[in-house]
Amino acid sequence: MDQSLNLNRREFLISTAAVGGGLALGLQLPFGVNAAVAADVVPEVNAWVMIRPDNTVVIRVARSEMGQGTITGLAQLVAEELECDWSKVSTEYPTPGQNLKRNRVWGSFSTGGSRGIRTSHEYVRQGGAAARMMLVQAAADQWKVPASECRAVNSIITHQPTGRTVTYGKVADAAGKLPAPDIKTIQLKDPKNWKIAGKPMKRFGTVDKVTGRQVYGFDLKLPGMVNAAIMECPVFGGKIRNFDAAKVSGRKGVKKVLQVGDTAVAVVADTWWQAKTALDALPIEWDSGANAKVSSTSIAAELKAGLTAAQAFVGNKSGDIKTALAGAAKTIEAEYAYPYQNHACMEPMNATARYTPDKCEVWVPTQDGEASFAAVLEASGLPADKCEVYKLDLGGGFGRRGAFQDYVTQAVLIAKQMPGIPVKLLWSREEDMRQGRFHPVMQCRLTGSFDASNNLTGLHMRLSGQSILAAVRPAIVEKAGGKDSATFQGVADSGEHSLGYTFPNMLVDHAMRNTHVPPGFWRGVNINQNAIFLECFMDELAHAAGEDPVAFRRRFMAGHPRNLAVLNAVAERIGWDRPAPKGRHRGIAQMKAFDSFVAAACEISVEGGNKVKVHRIVAATDSGYAVNPAQIERQIAGSFVYGLSALFMQECTVKDGRIEQENFHSYNSMRIAQMPRVESIIMPGGGPVWGGVGEPTICVAAPAVLNAFFKATGKRIRSVPLKNHGIELV
Amino acid sequence: MKLRRRTFLAAAGCLAGGIGLSTMAGRAHATPAELSVALKKVTGGATLRPGRVTLEIPPLVENGNSVPLSVVVESPMTTVNHVRAIHVFAEKNPLPNVISIYLGPRSGRARIATRVRLADTQKVLAVAEMSDGSFWSDSRDVTVTLAACTEAVI
Repeated sequence: MDQSLNLNRREFLISTAAVGGGLALGLQLPFGVNAAVAADVVPEVNAWVMIRPDNTVVIRVARSEMGQGTITGLAQLVAEELECDWSKVSTEYPTPGQNLKRNRVWGSFSTGGSRGIRTSHEYVRQGGAAARMMLVQAAADQWKVPASECRAVNSIITHQPTGRTVTYGKVADAAGKLPAPDIKTIQLKDPKNWKIAGKPMKRFGTVDKVTGRQVYGFDLKLPGMVNAAIMECPVFGGKIRNFDAAKVSGRKGVKKVLQVGDTAVAVVADTWWQAKTALDALPIEWDSGANAKVSSTSIAAELKAGLTAAQAFVGNKSGDIKTALAGAAKTIEAEYAYPYQNHACMEPMNATARYTPDKCEVWVPTQDGEASFAAVLEASGLPADKCEVYKLDLGGGFGRRGAFQDYVTQAVLIAKQMPGIPVKLLWSREEDMRQGRFHPVMQCRLTGSFDASNNLTGLHMRLSGQSILAAVRPAIVEKAGGKDSATFQGVADSGEHSLGYTFPNMLVDHAMRNTHVPPGFWRGVNINQNAIFLECFMDELAHAAGEDPVAFRRRFMAGHPRNLAVLNAVAERIGWDRPAPKGRHRGIAQMKAFDSFVAAACEISVEGGNKVKVHRIVAATDSGYAVNPAQIERQIAGSFVYGLSALFMQECTVKDGRIEQENFHSYNSMRIAQMPRVESIIMPGGGPVWGGVGEPTICVAAPAVLNAFFKATGKRIRSVPLKNHGIELV
Repeated sequence: MKLRRRTFLAAAGCLAGGIGLSTMAGRAHATPAELSVALKKVTGGATLRPGRVTLEIPPLVENGNSVPLSVVVESPMTTVNHVRAIHVFAEKNPLPNVISIYLGPRSGRARIATRVRLADTQKVLAVAEMSDGSFWSDSRDVTVTLAACTEAVI
């Protein structure tokens, strides 16, 4: 089960090959497989499955593990079709270099967008099924009987007419030499008949994590390795003017002071602390460029102007909002705001690189091994067959370590200046805070119109703020005529993030206001702000109509049965129809995100008008299918750690063009004593589409609590984090 | 220069009606009509042959915003035998003819290097136009790794 505990010959060979001969080292490191080394030791049935003579099974998984359990879930899907003994399964990562050589047999390595399982379940199950068919064929060939007379269960193949049996381990070698079955002949199991998938299997790697054996990127040690600390211009878009290397180059342990690209300076030393303290003492003069005066105030003013700007991109539209607003008996209006936020992974960004003109190797915790590989190709200038990336499990990703590989580029650029020596680049917490790829800022003006009988007749939702795709993938935005469709996640007219209501007249539009602060995909991406805007305003509209918030929502949900089902589920479980316990107040929210339907209801109490205790949260998820219900439950609970921390505590502010927050004292997270009880309702609704789990629930955390806070205090809070209003989580 | 089947198909597909190639072109679905039009503008419908051209571009790129590429053409670069132009095409870009560079015997050697934007995972094609009127080509598949990450949210 535990890949890093299996000290077999193959892993030993790989580790030593990868580190270039250090025998005493690397035995516990989860290095990627060197196919040439592996092939003669563990028979590979196909790209997904390797089986040793002792029947232990190694399943290769391309997606990255960062605590979300995707490795376990994907292995369950392969094992289910493989019909193998689950107790003998372990996993390993193929390398991006292997993937390229083998015509991308493992598909995308990208681990984001809650897509680990939902976009690869079909081909990984086919991989497992194909391996089973080949094993059965190999046994049938051995017995000279038709394969149709043989059946595989729990790693044992039985020839049914004669009762002869053989284990997978005995025929794996022969199976690996057979041609793969035609994909059209592969029949996948009905999820109703699952025995391994769909069950709450224990997650791989837990023992290593709790015993400290797990090697994260920043634990990595290679023989002869040196350590690097780096500082990039804190004003985005600025660069280095000069730095006085002589001031620190004589310090103990310091090997080299060097420039990295146009924008960063690094110090390389024997230990990381020597490098970090030398960097702190290094006089650096920055050319801050055009953005040196930008502040949170100036950004907010730009966004505010967008709320009433004439030009805006239409994201969702029905009926005629203008007429509805003009003919209204009553309108209500509210303005909301969402701040910049940092991913703040517990493990800061890091990568270890070794460069020679013949080979560039990088060890990195990454959400996308192929993106890391691409960064290595570009930074090293070497062809693909001379580069390799070995993935390590991540100490947090949340979207920072996928689309952005800046730390990989930096590590390679440093290693290039010290050929042959492995260099571990580790960002300080301060660097990690300053150089984020931040949750974009957004403001929103919402206007609702009512007729004389208090019926909602129209809703206008005007977004104003930053586009992620305009910064990250401008080609996509240009192709769409300047519009960033991702801005409308959760309120879109169709697709995996479609709006869960039907309003008679509605307009959702976006005035794009981009800033110099680099935006990124922050767990949940644009659903976080859109859920607050829409779901809090739905409460405001319900209040204006004099109606219960749940009953009011239901009026617009007839065409959205699965949204309605999760809403009803949490309402029922929390006892919405009955009064809350004395001193407690309830709030609710729902949304469709990443093709899953989610809802949350909470119970809070408020002391002294500002001390909020969240007593209880009920959260429902319909992700279509539940591959590992225990994982889903943990993801849901974890979503509230992330979502409530963001709601109460987290904001990155800009002053003089740079991010002000430098460490956890000014960018905090909730503690275990503040964590509410989370009751999850997993209600997979089936159907052709599989939904994601890692992100959707985060977005309903904040609006549910904000709505409950209004219930408790009569105060509408329309900007986050709540610390700015003197409100704290207790 | 190896004559790989894939290169041949790509070249054939781009031609849309090159002599004797129409059947193959019909099978090469990956090539959109815009590319054929853009390519025809350059070649005037002349046969596009694989070979003599080496396109260097990374097989994987992070986001496609700025992708380094270089093209080298085997040619003595003399008055009577030289490369007249190098054209680069990206089938899924809004404007498939990414760049055209015109050369002459005084260029010394037929090698260009630049950076291009790639809108998506796609095939990139380099075409060399020779002084004898012949056209030669090379192509490479490029995967934009971030494409997968953003497809779902848009």
